[in-house]
Amino acid sequence: MGYSRYDFTPLLHSIDQWLYSVMSPAWALIVELTLIGLAFLIFYALVGLFLVYAERKVCGFIQNRVGPNRVGKYGIFQTIADFIKLLMKELIGTKDADKLLYNIAPYIVIICSFMAIGAIPFAQGLLAIDFDIGILYIISVSSLSVIGVLLAGWSSNSKYPLIGAMRSGAQIISYELSVGLSLLTIIVLAGTMQFSKIVMAQENGWFIFKGHIPAIIAFILYVIASTAETNRGPFDLAEAESELTAGYHTEYSGIKFAFFYLAEYMNMFIVASIAATVFLGGWMPLHIPAWNGFNVVMDYIPPVIWYFMKTAFVIYIIMLFKWTFPRLRIDHLLTLEWKYLLPINLVNILFMALIVLLGWHF
Amino acid sequence: MTNYQFMFFLLSAIIIIFSILTVTTRRILRAATFLLFVLVATAGLYFMLRFNFLAAIQLTLYAGGIVVLIIFSVLLTSHISQKLEKASISKRILAAIAAIAGAVLCIITILATEFPTVTPNPPETDIHTIGQALLSTDKFGYSLPFEVISILLLAAMIGSIIIAKKRKD
Amino acid sequence: MFEGIPLTWFLILATIMFFIGIYGFLIRKNLITILMSLELVLNSVNINFVAFNKLLYPEHLEGMFFTVFVVAVAAAEASVAIAIIINIYRRLDKIDVENIDEMKY
Repeated sequence: MGYSRYDFTPLLHSIDQWLYSVMSPAWALIVELTLIGLAFLIFYALVGLFLVYAERKVCGFIQNRVGPNRVGKYGIFQTIADFIKLLMKELIGTKDADKLLYNIAPYIVIICSFMAIGAIPFAQGLLAIDFDIGILYIISVSSLSVIGVLLAGWSSNSKYPLIGAMRSGAQIISYELSVGLSLLTIIVLAGTMQFSKIVMAQENGWFIFKGHIPAIIAFILYVIASTAETNRGPFDLAEAESELTAGYHTEYSGIKFAFFYLAEYMNMFIVASIAATVFLGGWMPLHIPAWNGFNVVMDYIPPVIWYFMKTAFVIYIIMLFKWTFPRLRIDHLLTLEWKYLLPINLVNILFMALIVLLGWHF
Repeated sequence: MTNYQFMFFLLSAIIIIFSILTVTTRRILRAATFLLFVLVATAGLYFMLRFNFLAAIQLTLYAGGIVVLIIFSVLLTSHISQKLEKASISKRILAAIAAIAGAVLCIITILATEFPTVTPNPPETDIHTIGQALLSTDKFGYSLPFEVISILLLAAMIGSIIIAKKRKD
Repeated sequence: MFEGIPLTWFLILATIMFFIGIYGFLIRKNLITILMSLELVLNSVNINFVAFNKLLYPEHLEGMFFTVFVVAVAAAEASVAIAIIINIYRRLDKIDVENIDEMKY
């Protein structure tokens, strides 16, 4: 197929072989791990900076104002300036806080999002590790980040963070179910959990088109549930600033606050890229069966660009959510999950299984 | 020393150190955090043995489920200024003697036992094999335990809701 | 042997972890910490199952499935135990084992 001209596998393989021919296997392994880690670190920082800027611009656009426009052209260096300010701030803790847990909590949150990003395919052959349990791995890793939130709220020794942490813990645990079940709908259709195979299976049409109505329902449910799982508006009552000041990270300042902030945006990016990969074909170009000329033209656009376009689309939807809908109340939030999303999801899986058994999908 | 041996020593050092801290620390939430580290390191051990599915289950259910449940109950039942009271010295010494004696006995038995050496050429435990085995009724199928576990989980769910519910009396 | 790691190493690791859990079970008074020690014990047994599976009978998956079921049972046990702990806390305001002596009289 045409898109395989952008395959990263030969390039990465030749780098791998060159490293192993130059030095001993143990050193080659260490160098490779360091390189991958550095690449992800840089990627992480860049995406974080870009997302914060994008959020402020989108917010400005919706609220009919300009948004940041002072630092650099169109304010593109605004987030860098903000970051430098955060770095120079004094680190303030509370009295009688549990110092160990207080310091560990931001790292737990950020390591969890870091672990999840390793399994996401950015282009053909361009992913750190290709598990046969890819989706399950990402669900399991992202289920750990709630522990960081709970620890942060408890160890601050302050009442608002504790309330915020309890709220956000209950919310994340509940909505994890819907995220898992809506992804399970697509696993039923795809018959595999491996990300590379899931993307390859969407060669002749994305899953959201292939799976008829259940896939579309699953996509909508996934976007709602994952917005709630990442604690973003309209589900951001964990950090409802008008009642809880800032939720579980009220007592954090400086670089540790920046970690929480960054992890929140990275979680949004991870959630969006899973949605893009599982429902919208990941790096796979848009193919329509029997439209050969169209498919050839689409293949010329590199997969990385397809991937980032789709992810940006989902991120834009999630940002629109935040700035259009009013915040929910906690009992409404839990009612929405347990009385509406979960039953719909369960029925949806049965529906999808029926469609797969009868062979009604494309 | 191979890479695998290095990883094994690293993971087992994490497991042992944090297990000891879990049972000796006097702050209850720190104990839960150290327990989390032990469970994550165990998941690493499973990943090393190429039981990917099991490792993911360990992370989801143990680390993401049970530890979160424990942390929640800690948040509900204790305050940050509370410290667990120390057990009396005689109790600690007796418990340590019992534990060490048991451990020594077991380790001596393990070292004295000859295990058959098999050359493992493991078939990759991919998710398809696991799924087929879990739902088949053949000799190596686990259909019955699977169903029994699902009934057990349902019973546990109903039971814990009824126990924890506020009664009007 | 698995990539240079003999079975006995796994068994010794699991043994040490098991008896650390037993030690915690004996010296702790708070119910939640007792539950944590119990999780350590269960976890060490799981390591044994998995190691036996991989290093002695790699062609079957019995150890792995047993571990999956143990994890499921542990989850059920933890949920019921925590429901009981919450209920005890509601009635007695304490969750130390020494305070739960109502049935004595």
